[in-house]
Amino acid sequence: MDRFRKWGWGLGIATVSAVSAFGLASWQANAAPGTPPPAPGVAAEQPRVSHPSPVPEPASGTGSDPLTGTEVDRARAAALTPELAAGAKDVNGKPGPEYLAAELDADGTGRQAELYYYDYASEKLFKQVVDLTTGKLAKSFSAAGMQPPASAQEAKAALDLLVADPLGADFKAAYRKATGQDLSGTAGLVPTAHIYTSKPADRGATQCGKSRCVQLIVKTADGHFINVTDIVVDLSGRQVARLK
Amino acid sequence: MRYRKTAGAVALLTSAALSLTVPAAAQAAPEATPCGASAMVKETLPNGTTWQLCWRINDKAGLVLDHVYVATKRYPEPVQVLDSIRMAQLNVPYDNGDTEYDDLTAIGLGGYGLETLTGDDCKGGSIRVGSDGGSDPQQRDVLCVSAEPRGLAYRLHDYQWDDESEEPTEKVYSQQGHDLVLRTVSKLGWYEYVTEYRLHDDGQISARLGATGDLAPSEYSTSDNGWPIGNGAAKDYATMHYHNAFWRVDFNIAGKGGEKVEQYDTTTTGRGSMTAALTTTHKTIASEGSFSKVNQRFWRVVSPTSKNADGHARSYELAPGASDKYEGHPETKPDVTFSQKNLCEKWASDNAADPECPLDTRTVVDFVKNKEKLTDPVMWVRVGFHHVPRDEDQSPMPMHWQGFDLVPRDFTEMNPLTPAGREGANGNQSGEETRG
Repeated sequence: MDRFRKWGWGLGIATVSAVSAFGLASWQANAAPGTPPPAPGVAAEQPRVSHPSPVPEPASGTGSDPLTGTEVDRARAAALTPELAAGAKDVNGKPGPEYLAAELDADGTGRQAELYYYDYASEKLFKQVVDLTTGKLAKSFSAAGMQPPASAQEAKAALDLLVADPLGADFKAAYRKATGQDLSGTAGLVPTAHIYTSKPADRGATQCGKSRCVQLIVKTADGHFINVTDIVVDLSGRQVARLK
Repeated sequence: MRYRKTAGAVALLTSAALSLTVPAAAQAAPEATPCGASAMVKETLPNGTTWQLCWRINDKAGLVLDHVYVATKRYPEPVQVLDSIRMAQLNVPYDNGDTEYDDLTAIGLGGYGLETLTGDDCKGGSIRVGSDGGSDPQQRDVLCVSAEPRGLAYRLHDYQWDDESEEPTEKVYSQQGHDLVLRTVSKLGWYEYVTEYRLHDDGQISARLGATGDLAPSEYSTSDNGWPIGNGAAKDYATMHYHNAFWRVDFNIAGKGGEKVEQYDTTTTGRGSMTAALTTTHKTIASEGSFSKVNQRFWRVVSPTSKNADGHARSYELAPGASDKYEGHPETKPDVTFSQKNLCEKWASDNAADPECPLDTRTVVDFVKNKEKLTDPVMWVRVGFHHVPRDEDQSPMPMHWQGFDLVPRDFTEMNPLTPAGREGANGNQSGEETRG
């Protein structure tokens, strides 16, 4: 009795493995690269779109064209008034405002460039509107408490502040963990800066918003991302704070 | 003098390029010069539908489409649909409450965030060179334009009675549809976002955002708001988060503007002889407000003056896609907001970043606070996606999509793809001697 039962159980196992072996074999047979696929119908092919050769960027754009390089250069020359150049300061404390962005005003009559600058001396955002037809500064506005995205120079300045600060220890440890090496400098690191604005319910770094603050994501030379979102760098106060 | 000469040469080049790439029949442009040749996309899909639009990259919004016109084989006169469409915010709060990003206004989808297209990014399509919208703008391979099959556009197995032979004749109408697809890719840290607009050959416009790249490398929390990924022993709970995406849509139907907004609701009001009887009512949304979807509700933007050949007012309907509601902010709850066009209202949240504009107009909720009369409406569409990470999200993360459709309603008096054999099938045909 005992022997029979054992034998039956053994047969069961054999059957199961035979079935699964057959299943896998037939699956692989069907998926074999030698099997010709059904010929695709004409309708299923991707139709062509035109492929115009790129033409050199014109000096001036038309209508809702993006701002051209030449237009941005001309607009920047008109936007940076002598007062702004002398009175304002950039992220590193040098004379002249921090240049942030150039946008097309697509809704105005005629083409206008809107240039944004941050003045670290007055903690104000400047918007300089340049008429691209006349090449002259048409309007100027400034306000405190407005923080558009950071420039590449600001991201770099934030990284330098972080590395020089005692709170940079976490970053250095994360760098060592990711790359297996000690951080020897900021060369080769690519920082991405998120503007950080403190909301009423947030804890810590409550000056951010009035001050210009960023959080950093840093890409190492070998492609690792180092996330230090618990740290806020206050570019206005040139200080580093832990958020969480 | 030298400058002028150069500009002249470039102008010549541009017009030469135009005449090479634009078919002669299409030279009757809807508007003289909405933009230059490099910023214009004009393509005819296999079914004969032509879309024309201008594109550019904004440093914050990324891809912007404007002056969007459609013409079809049946209705070859180009008719404007949109003044413009673009993203208006991408708010990414993490469920543990410790991390939040406003990706458009705190980093930006354009400029250095915009990827140069490569690999399979534009397989089968045409990569267009253009400005990346940065502070020092660079000409790069940034836009993919392609025509892609979208499956069956329609099918009809038609039976007609032939009086001469006194036999029924039959015909199968079966037609592949296509989309004109415009696509850019932005990389913000580890996440990569695909901004995509699909312009269908039947007049529909689909806007969607794809998210791929990698999960945040150090956003881990607990089982309350994370999902364990990686080796079972590790107990690393990747933090759940939302992608609260907003789009700004500005219609300009047939170039006439001044659209009306209508809301339609269907309710069960009684019984017919077999089943429930339903009643659909509509109301005009005359002043600014935010609205949410309930069963069978839809909105449409109607031209007060432009009509199709049947005399029906042209309109586009908002067909929202699947959407998760984020309860953490007032502005991430409503599905759609209609506001009177105001150039200070740019971003659905974190809006106050223009010194020419008030500091207290921060979100779509603020845009509509004073319930201004709607004479030039702008539509803000919110689509949320609650991302619960999974093992398969590494690596790279499989693309996940969120978006919505704009569907023509009475834009043309029949399906713009109607084949010749079905031309007469407009309106109530039951009085004629047809069978089927």
